[in-house]
Amino acid sequence: MSVEAGIPWNRYGLIAELACRLDGESPQFGKTALQKMVYLLQEALGIDCGYHFQLYSYGPFDARILQDLDLVEYVGGVEIHQSESPGGGYEIRPGPQANMLREKAKGFLQDEKVKKALDRLVREWGPLMARDLELRSTVLYVARDMKESGDQVTREGLLDLVRNLKPKFSHEEIKTAIQELSEKGFLEVES
Amino acid sequence: MAEIKDCKEQPPIQKRYEIRDPIHGFVVLNEWEREIIDHPAFQRLRRIRQLGLTEMVYPGATHTRFEHSLGVMHVATRMFDEVVEKREDFLKTELGYQEADLKRDRVLVRLAALLHDIGHAPLSHAAESLMPCNGAGKKYLHTDYSAAVVNHVMRDVIENHPMNRQYAITARDVADFLTGATRLGRSLLWRGLVSSQLDADRADYLLRDSHHIGVAYGKYDLDRLLVTMAVAIDATGSPVLAVEEGGEHAAEGLIIARYMMFTQVYFQHTRRAYDCHSEQALKTLLSRGARSTQGRAAFPPPTARKNVEAYLEWDDWRVMGMIHAGEAGEHGEIIRERKHHRCVYATPEIPSTSDLEFVEELIARVEDKVSFVDRAEESWYKFGDADIPVLLSPGRRDERVRTLSERSAVVRGLKAVNKIRIYVPPAAQERVSAVVQKLRRVRG
Repeated sequence: MSVEAGIPWNRYGLIAELACRLDGESPQFGKTALQKMVYLLQEALGIDCGYHFQLYSYGPFDARILQDLDLVEYVGGVEIHQSESPGGGYEIRPGPQANMLREKAKGFLQDEKVKKALDRLVREWGPLMARDLELRSTVLYVARDMKESGDQVTREGLLDLVRNLKPKFSHEEIKTAIQELSEKGFLEVES
Repeated sequence: MAEIKDCKEQPPIQKRYEIRDPIHGFVVLNEWEREIIDHPAFQRLRRIRQLGLTEMVYPGATHTRFEHSLGVMHVATRMFDEVVEKREDFLKTELGYQEADLKRDRVLVRLAALLHDIGHAPLSHAAESLMPCNGAGKKYLHTDYSAAVVNHVMRDVIENHPMNRQYAITARDVADFLTGATRLGRSLLWRGLVSSQLDADRADYLLRDSHHIGVAYGKYDLDRLLVTMAVAIDATGSPVLAVEEGGEHAAEGLIIARYMMFTQVYFQHTRRAYDCHSEQALKTLLSRGARSTQGRAAFPPPTARKNVEAYLEWDDWRVMGMIHAGEAGEHGEIIRERKHHRCVYATPEIPSTSDLEFVEELIARVEDKVSFVDRAEESWYKFGDADIPVLLSPGRRDERVRTLSERSAVVRGLKAVNKIRIYVPPAAQERVSAVVQKLRRVRG
């Protein structure tokens, strides 16, 4: 409760910004990819976007992102199309009002720290498929969860937990993702 | 509580108890669960109303989290049993479950469902904004309090009952199930029975709230939903709880029931005003009670036993007693006298940019008169990760999983509500309403 309007223009502008930046960059920027990109921006790159993630079927998820996406679509910030790819799903593209929403959020989006983080987000993870984003965001989520529970985050322990949660990913895939995230400084694991 | 004879599933020395329930008929308990229910932390739920001050608008809404918690355990168990009975071979051959795993997970599901609201704040969800932040700046949720109560206060009654010898379930297992902690591994599959779009929580509260309030908006076909619940492997290779093709309209029914209950009951404008008054009254009480975190009135964080015990002292009886004694300030008086603040402007359920700008402009003009701005936000269907899997051709060679949103135009059409309302004291209603009219004319 407040006497401020509290309209989350920053969150709406961020969705429009990601749709613009990932248009042509992401193989399929759909609803799952949006969740994972916002998670990576918030948790791996340290930009507080105001979301609170929990682990769901395809990794970290916050229903409020979908709620915001609905409104952003309604006001024309993005367009959502059903994908024609064999896997189905959706594709989020910039809408006619994308720039209007980005303008409303310019104080946030043009902050130097946020700009750099968005640049890195798109560079590191923009070209990945939703499945790869799911694995990387799940690895980070599980590692954070282990740390918060007071458990030691060892490479083997993390690998076992992710494998247990996501049997669809091979041992090698998970190992590679852990290696990649720790080499890039997004993850601290003990050998 | 009526004691009844043993059933064949339980060892002969175990007793079962039945509690009569207005929604489900009888809720059946064993001795272990009865001891948990008899624990003071669980009995506190008798003193937490399910819907806070909703009774100010719907006088029948006086039911409590106690009966709801029993109902959630009952429904979650029925869901679990249906899935296992129908898909036992699949669980064993495809997902590697043993008989003992299934028995243990069934107990874990029952305990987690029973205790899912054990950490609920007084006056229902209105108090959640007064939960403090953790070290990372994230606000604690009532689930965190439920997990903390389980871990710090209910450990003995969970872990040391003789019935637990064969399961070795720890308080941490139950707490992790509630928060979705990843160390639970495969057992997390069942978490969807307590936390998902088709979970036992909403399956129970929609029917229970409708019954007590006297509306039909929350009714749907629970029995059909139950007999069509299943487990499957989705297109990405993940094990998921699903609904069979024959139950997809029952699933739609639940989604629509929830949409109707929110728009017609939970988001009703006077009910929302009382959420705001409750929050402010509680804030006054918390600041008086020397419980202040990070410089503002807040509940103690759920980080230590003494904090959890102090938190559990707060229930509706205590709060209403303090309001009655005149200790809850201006908003306490408003509640006592039912003289709530009035809504002078509301956006449509799905506001346009122009509606949002109108809110900002109006507040800028009458800020000194506005008592609170309420944001009623909810999405009715969660796509992507939380989409409901639908199992097609179960048990046949062409068995496959699709999502409900792919198959249902109804759920695809349900857009999230983001309604904003502006409230003022009754004395300012006329004046601010005039400003609203004038601003409407100016903006065309």
